[in-house]
Amino acid sequence: MSQALPADAAPAPDEQPAQDDTTNAGLESFTYDDKTPRMFLIAMYVWALVAFLVGLLAAVELPFPSLNGGIEYITFGRIRPLHTNAAIFAFAGNAIFAAIYYSTQRLCKARMWSDALSKLHFWGWQLIIVSAALTLPFGITQGKEYAELEWPIDIAIAVVWAGFFGINFFMTLIKRRERHMYVALWFYIATIVTVAILHIFNNIWVPVFSGTLIKSYPIYAGVQDAMMQWWYGHNAVAFFLTTPFLGLMYYFLPKAAERPVFSYRLSILHFWSLVFIYIWAGPHHLHYTALPEWAQTLGMLFSVMLWMPSWGGMINGLLTLRGAWHKVTTDPILKFFVVGITFYGMSTFEGPLLSIKAVNSLSHYTDWTIGHVHAGALGWNGFLAFGMMYWLAPRLFQTRLYSVKLASLHFWLATLGILVYVISMYVAGITQGLMWRAIEDNGTLSYGTFVETTRAVLPMYWIRIVGGALYMAGAVVGGWNLYKTWASRPDEYEQRVHQAPPLRDQPVPQEDRPEPRMVGVLDMANRADVWSTMWWHRAWERMPVKFTALVIVAVVVASLFELIPTFVIRSNVPTIASVQPYTPLELVGRDIYIAEGCYNCHSQMIRPMVAETKRYGEYSKPGEFVYDHPFQWGSRRIGPDLARVGGRLTHQWHVWHFEKPQEATPGSIMPPYPFLMEKKADYKSIPARVAATMVLHPNDPNFENYPVGQDAVDHARAQATQIHEEFLVQNAGPYVNADGEAVDLTESQAVALIAYLQRLGTDIYADPPVKIEPLPATPDATVTTEADEAPREDDADASALLGQAATHGGGR
Amino acid sequence: MADHKPELNEVPDGHNYDGIQEYDNPIPGWWSWIFVATIIFTPVYIIWFHAPGMDRNLLAQYDRAYAANLEQQFGEIGELLPDAETVMRFIDDDKWLAVGRATFQTHCVSCHGAAGEGASGVNLTDNVYKNVTNVAQIADVIANGAAGGAMPPWKTKLHPNAVVLTASYVASLRDTNAPGGRQPEGVEIPPWSAE
Repeated sequence: MSQALPADAAPAPDEQPAQDDTTNAGLESFTYDDKTPRMFLIAMYVWALVAFLVGLLAAVELPFPSLNGGIEYITFGRIRPLHTNAAIFAFAGNAIFAAIYYSTQRLCKARMWSDALSKLHFWGWQLIIVSAALTLPFGITQGKEYAELEWPIDIAIAVVWAGFFGINFFMTLIKRRERHMYVALWFYIATIVTVAILHIFNNIWVPVFSGTLIKSYPIYAGVQDAMMQWWYGHNAVAFFLTTPFLGLMYYFLPKAAERPVFSYRLSILHFWSLVFIYIWAGPHHLHYTALPEWAQTLGMLFSVMLWMPSWGGMINGLLTLRGAWHKVTTDPILKFFVVGITFYGMSTFEGPLLSIKAVNSLSHYTDWTIGHVHAGALGWNGFLAFGMMYWLAPRLFQTRLYSVKLASLHFWLATLGILVYVISMYVAGITQGLMWRAIEDNGTLSYGTFVETTRAVLPMYWIRIVGGALYMAGAVVGGWNLYKTWASRPDEYEQRVHQAPPLRDQPVPQEDRPEPRMVGVLDMANRADVWSTMWWHRAWERMPVKFTALVIVAVVVASLFELIPTFVIRSNVPTIASVQPYTPLELVGRDIYIAEGCYNCHSQMIRPMVAETKRYGEYSKPGEFVYDHPFQWGSRRIGPDLARVGGRLTHQWHVWHFEKPQEATPGSIMPPYPFLMEKKADYKSIPARVAATMVLHPNDPNFENYPVGQDAVDHARAQATQIHEEFLVQNAGPYVNADGEAVDLTESQAVALIAYLQRLGTDIYADPPVKIEPLPATPDATVTTEADEAPREDDADASALLGQAATHGGGR
Repeated sequence: MADHKPELNEVPDGHNYDGIQEYDNPIPGWWSWIFVATIIFTPVYIIWFHAPGMDRNLLAQYDRAYAANLEQQFGEIGELLPDAETVMRFIDDDKWLAVGRATFQTHCVSCHGAAGEGASGVNLTDNVYKNVTNVAQIADVIANGAAGGAMPPWKTKLHPNAVVLTASYVASLRDTNAPGGRQPEGVEIPPWSAE
C-alpha cells in the first residue's frame, strides 16, 4: 500500500501478529468497531456544511443588514453563536470523535470498551447539536461565547462527554493490548479530562425556574465571570481544537506519509509544556479590560511561552514528512495535512503575537481576531479534518475513493478560500484598529463617528464572503466525493478479526536509566543529561491512570494559580458604593440584550486608552460589573462599545434605531429590530428572575429592600410606564408601526431593553447612589410632583423609585 | 530514505504502534533556545512593568497619555469658562472650532445629524431655539442637558473646554440651514453676542 488513494485502498493491513518475545499464552481475538467512526465521519461532514452555510449567511448579513428581512430568528446576533457552535462542537467535535474512535482502537489493539456507550455517545452528541440549533435561533442562550447553550444542554454535554465518551475511552485504555500508549493517546487523554473540567466549571449557574423560559444566571459576575469565561474559551481552543487535532495528526499523518514520526522526545516535551502552559493564557482575551492587570500580564507571558510548545507539534508534523515530500505533490491527503500544519504554525505564532499587550491594543475587538480564528478553524482544523476524511473514507467504506482529482480540487478551492478570507480580515482588522485610535494634531479623534470605520471595511466584508464561498464550494465538492465513495461501499462490510495477547500475558519491560555518557563533568550535569533523554517517560506511557492523573494535576494547578486570587483577593474588584443592582425591568431588558446576542457586535468595556475614552467615556472599572451575570464585555466591535451608552441618547432615538438603524445612523450595518416593539416583555418570569438574582447575592445590603414576587412585577411595570411616558413626550405622540397603527410600547421588549441600555455605565456618576426601594406606597408617596428632583434622594418615596429610571435613563 | 544524519533514523525498540514508528531525533536547538528565551522574558517583563515604583502599568500609561493629550489639545488656551465671551471668541477661529466639530461628530450627530440638521434631536442650523436665548446657554445645555433629559447632560463625559468649543461650533451652525433639516422648533432669538 504505497499510496493512500489508489485502487487497492482496501482496509488497513492487518495487525502484526504477536511479537516474538511475547509469552506463549493464548492470543485473544477481537474486531474493531468501525461503524462508530463511520457515523462520526458522516456527521462531521454534514455539520461542516451546516456550519459553513450559517457562517456564510452571517458574513453576508454584515454588508447587507436587511438580509434577514426582519425575521428575528436569523439576525446576526442569533446565528453567529449558531455558526460558532456548529463549527466547533458539531464539525470539529465529530471530526475528533471519528479520529479518536478509529485510532484509539488500533493504538490499543482493542475494540472500544462498550458498543452501547459508543452508540449513546454518537446519538447523544447529535441530539445536543440539534438542540443547539433549536435554541440559539430562538434567543435561548447563556450569553457567553462558545458556552451559549443553556443549562439543560450543559448537563447533557457533561453526561455525554464525561459519562459516555470519557468512560468508554478510559476503559478502552485500561483494557488495551498494547503496552505503551502512543503520543496520540496522550493528547486524547488531555482533551477528554480538560474539556470536562472547563465545561463544568464555566457552567455553574442558578437556573431561573419559570414556565415561560429556559434561562440561567452564572454564579460568577463581571470580572470573575470574564476570567472564568476566557479560562474556558481560550482552553476550548486549546483542548477542543488543538490537542485532539494534534493527536489526530500524530496518527493520520505518519499513516498517510508512511514515515516514522520525527522525534519522540520532542513529542514528550511539547505535549507536557503545551498542557501546562496553555491553561494560563486565557486572560490575553481580556487585555486592557477591568480584569486586574497581574492576570493580564500572566496571560500575555504564558501565551508568549506557548509559542515553542505549539511549534513543537508543527515541527514534528512537518519533519515527519522528510523523505516523503515527493508524495505531497501527488497526494491530496498530504497536501491537506501540510497546509493544515502550516496554518497551525502560523496561528500559533500569531496567537502569542496578538497576546502581547501593545499588539492587542490595536487588534482587539477588530476583524484581525476573526481572521486569526478562521486561520485556526478553517486552516488547521478544517484541513486536518478533510485530510483525515480522505484517508479514512476508503478504509471505513472499504472501497476506493471516488475521485482523487475532485479531492485535489477541494484542496485548491479550500486553500484559495482560506487565504482570501484571512487576508481580507487582516486588512479589515488593521484598518479598523488604526482608524479607531487615530488622533488629529489638535488632539481630537480623526474618525469621531464610529460608522466611518464601518464603511471603510465594508469592501473587505465582501471579499471575505468570496473567500468563505470558495472554502464552502470546496467542502461541497468534498461532500460529493464522500457521498460517491460511500455509495460504492460493499453490500456488507468485511469484519476483520485481529489477534493479540492480553496485556497481562505480555512482559512488563524494564525502562532502564541510560548510562551517563559524559566524563569529566559534574555528577549533576550527567544526571541532567540522563534525565533529558526522557527515559523515565517511557514508564509513564505504560500507566494510563497515572498519566491521566498527572495531566489533571498539570491543568488544575495552573488553573488554580490564576483563578483563586481572582476570587479571593478583594482588591481585585474594588467595590463602588454607587453601583447598585439592576431593577426588575432592567433585568428583563438585560436578558433581551443577551437573547438577541447584542454582545456579538457590541462590547461593554472601555479600555484605558485616550482614543477610547474620548469616544466612549471614562474607562470601565471592575466594580461596575458586580451585578452582571453573565458579564457582557464582548470580544468584537462590529458596532460601537455600549459600556456607557446610558443617558447619551433618548428613548425615542433608541426606538427609531431599533426599527430603522440605517435611517438613524446612515451607513450602519445593524440589522433592523422591528419585532422589539411588537413583542411583549416577559413580565411573568420577573419574580423568578429576581429570585435567581437574589440567590446570587445572599448577603448584599443593596438587596435589602429589593422588590420580590408581584412587587417586582409592579415595579417593572411602573418603570416601563415612566419610560414610555418620556418616550411619548420625546416622540410627540405614540409609536407608529410599519402598518400605520399606533402602538403602546409600555410592556414591549423595546422599553425593557431601553431601560437596561439607559442604565449602562451611569452608576459611577450617581451620587449619592440611587437605591431601589419597595414600591408599596408610604405616606410620602403621595408627593408625586417631586419626581424630577427626588430621584437622587435616598428616601422611600415611590416617585423617587420611579425617578430612578429617569436618573439612569433620560439623564435628568 | 537518504538523509543528512542517517544515524538518527533508528527507531527505538518498541516504538511501533499500529505500524506507526517514531524516531528519537534530538530536539532542534533553535526550538529549545527560543523556548528558554520566552521563559526568561517572563521575570524581566514582570520587573520592568510591575515592580513597585516603576510606574509603567497600564493605568499609569493611560494617565500619562491622557495628560499629554490634554496638553496637546488645550495647552495653548488653558481652562475655558463657559461664558458668552469665551464661546464667541472661538466662533470664527477655524483652528479651535475644529475641536468643537470633532467633539460634535463623536457625540452629537446621532441625534442632531452630521451637519446639525436635526433628526431625533432639534435642528441646530435654523434660526430658532427651544432652550437657548443667548450663546452662553448653549454651553449650559450641553453641560447640564435640557428637555427633561431628552438632551442629556455631558458634563461628566466631556472636558469643560470641549463643552465650550462644542458650544462655539453649535453657535456657528446657526443659519447654515443644512438641507433635509428637521422642522424649526422654538422661538427666534437675538443674534449671538459676546455680552
